[in-house]
Amino acid sequence: MTSPLRIWSLPWTLRYLRHEVLALPGRTAALLFVLFLLLFPLFSQDPYLLRVLTLTALFALYAASWDLLSGYTGQVSLGHAFFFGLAGYASAILGRELGLPPALTIPLGALLATLAGVLVGLPSLRLRGPYLSLVTLAFPIMATGLIFLFPRFTGGELGLSGLPRLGQSRLEEYYLVVGIFLLSVLFLWKLAGSRVGLFFHAIREDEVAVRMVGVNTVRYKLLAFAVSAFFAGLAGGLHAHYLRVAGPDSLSLFNSIQPVIWSVFGGIATIYGPVAGTFLLFPFLEALRVAEELRMLAFALLILLVMRFLPQGVVRGALERLEEECPRCKVKNAFTRKACRACGVPMHLETREVKP
Amino acid sequence: MSRVWIAALSGFALWAGSTASAQTLRIGVVGPMAFVQGEHTWHGATLAAEELNRAGGVLVGNQRYRIELVRVDTNEMTSVTDAATAVERAITAQRVDFLIGGFRSEAVLAMTEVAADYKKPFIITGAALDGILAGRVDRNYERFKYLFRVSPTKSSDLARTSLLLLGEVVQAVRRDLRIERPKVAILAERAAWADPLVETASRLIAAPPPQGYGAEVAGTWRPSATATDVTPELTAIQRAGAQVIFTVLSGPVGVPFGRDWGRLKIPAAAVGINVEAQQETWLKATDNLGAYVATLNTLAPAVAISPKTIPFISNFQARFKQFPIYTASGAYGALYILAEALNRAGTTAADAVVRALEATDYTGPAGRIVFDKTHDVTWGPGYTTGLGVQWIGGRMQAFWPRQWRVGNQTVSYAGVQPYQLPPWVVEAWRR
Repeated sequence: MTSPLRIWSLPWTLRYLRHEVLALPGRTAALLFVLFLLLFPLFSQDPYLLRVLTLTALFALYAASWDLLSGYTGQVSLGHAFFFGLAGYASAILGRELGLPPALTIPLGALLATLAGVLVGLPSLRLRGPYLSLVTLAFPIMATGLIFLFPRFTGGELGLSGLPRLGQSRLEEYYLVVGIFLLSVLFLWKLAGSRVGLFFHAIREDEVAVRMVGVNTVRYKLLAFAVSAFFAGLAGGLHAHYLRVAGPDSLSLFNSIQPVIWSVFGGIATIYGPVAGTFLLFPFLEALRVAEELRMLAFALLILLVMRFLPQGVVRGALERLEEECPRCKVKNAFTRKACRACGVPMHLETREVKP
Repeated sequence: MSRVWIAALSGFALWAGSTASAQTLRIGVVGPMAFVQGEHTWHGATLAAEELNRAGGVLVGNQRYRIELVRVDTNEMTSVTDAATAVERAITAQRVDFLIGGFRSEAVLAMTEVAADYKKPFIITGAALDGILAGRVDRNYERFKYLFRVSPTKSSDLARTSLLLLGEVVQAVRRDLRIERPKVAILAERAAWADPLVETASRLIAAPPPQGYGAEVAGTWRPSATATDVTPELTAIQRAGAQVIFTVLSGPVGVPFGRDWGRLKIPAAAVGINVEAQQETWLKATDNLGAYVATLNTLAPAVAISPKTIPFISNFQARFKQFPIYTASGAYGALYILAEALNRAGTTAADAVVRALEATDYTGPAGRIVFDKTHDVTWGPGYTTGLGVQWIGGRMQAFWPRQWRVGNQTVSYAGVQPYQLPPWVVEAWRR
């Protein structure tokens, strides 16, 4: 007589891995991606490559945070750099004034960004579409104005430099950032897939209908702003300490637009789409340094091509081709399967010509 | 026949052997290469590298090194992250030994953090803000001793020079228009770097001589650095009765200013800092309306700041068909300074090179360069001061320093002409 499998036991894990992860190309790719990030330093500790991957992980978290707010709830933020830059400055100033280490100042900066998220979210309760986007855009511009207004406190155009490092070496910094990135993205992904995420989705599709069934949409919209701002702030704090500079550039329009590009490229309202978009585009732009004159042109062309042929984004476009939904039980299957892995129904019904 | 082959092969082997043993110094030239500032940094460094290589390379100890330049496009105007990553790539993947260049101050800060991590000497040739070196090299010497600046002079020194130019124009108004107490309007872009200059100028203009100019402040106007129309400000200045406009403009607003000022024939002479007016494209950019605008600059045609100025300008123009801006002369000088320091140090070891760089006393195209304790270029008579230039007769003409007296010294460069008030200003105030 065999005992029932216990969750998290090795046989359970192997069985889960085989039937739930390796059975689907998307999940297999995600597993390989996580393994790649965790094992990469075993193959190369080139500081430049580690730097590129660290920055990519940072920006992927930033893009995923944008996706939670704009992709899921449809509240398109064009001023996300406000949370990113604010947390960076807050971490730098707290460290300088109170002598606190980055381990404390970065979360505190992210919490300040969360408060700012609620503050920005308040006008969003009455605004929609381009009006909301313009309001969000105003915040980083105002913050930049304040930075120039109090140069002795903020460092003015030069920003604040000489911030403490995240770790003692590039490798330490890499694992710290990658660890935070993986945990944060896991949290965002789980949140997006939870009941709360369902409400976010519903608010984007038809806010009035959601309100009519008794859901407090104000609370959920503010929650989306707060959570999104927290993770954008976390990325901003890490970024400031990684570069060791918190400057006006972190609040620039370019920095606000970047997560939009990465998210749309990867596929919005997925969380993993922006991550994939960043991990494809950021290193690609780095690789294009070999042809500096063509760099931005090639980058723009790639985005145009992807938008033309994969309008749902790279990840969604790829998954649509690699995975199929069972016509009966709606479980996802690899495109190679002839019968559903859950209910056994043929994935493609054969049509036979019936002769009279 | 076989002998010929053996001889040829031996010759090839010797050549290959000598090539393999030839040492090279890899210098990373960093800058925003899509912009004129980065492009001229590269051109200036190229000119110096070619001259040094033609002369046999750099002698370090008993070994001669050829200079190999590595072009590092930092994209720093758009992204500071990109700039810092470009520098790390240059150091780790492209294996550069030294770095020169950099333009946007915020990006230069991030880039120099990377250079300091790797202990790579970095000679800055484009960023002006004081805080890039002050407060870093002096307070944390062990980490930042690898940073030096050859051009431009730091912001506070740029401010000093621009105020001297203002003094020159106030004198011209007093002399030519016979107005004993001229009115000066301050037109400064809304930017943090301009604030201390506005404050100092306001104080200095109103203070009695000899400390101040004994003039009157007609008011202060602060347009955006990216404004496309400054007509309201200029009209207000005209109404305020100013004879002089002290400009503090580094952004694109400089062009609309020049165009509107010339078009409206504002009866006030424009002088100060106008970065757009430093470029040879100024008159074209302003539809020829920017004539008589005066600005601080580094070089001017036919003005010999040192014996190296005219040959540098001629060679640069012959090679690149453009008039060099300050990043070009800075990069050119930086490479020579580095070559001389390597020669004195006798080694390429960074710490020894830093010590040799600290002992620099080099006269380049833009003047004499001696580093102060923060590794910044020393400003003043006998060192580097910059020039005052004015657009007259379709060309840039220097008007300062001309018989500039400081203590016992009198500074004057060959080719410097007297300042000329715009004719419509003279006409308006002589009536």
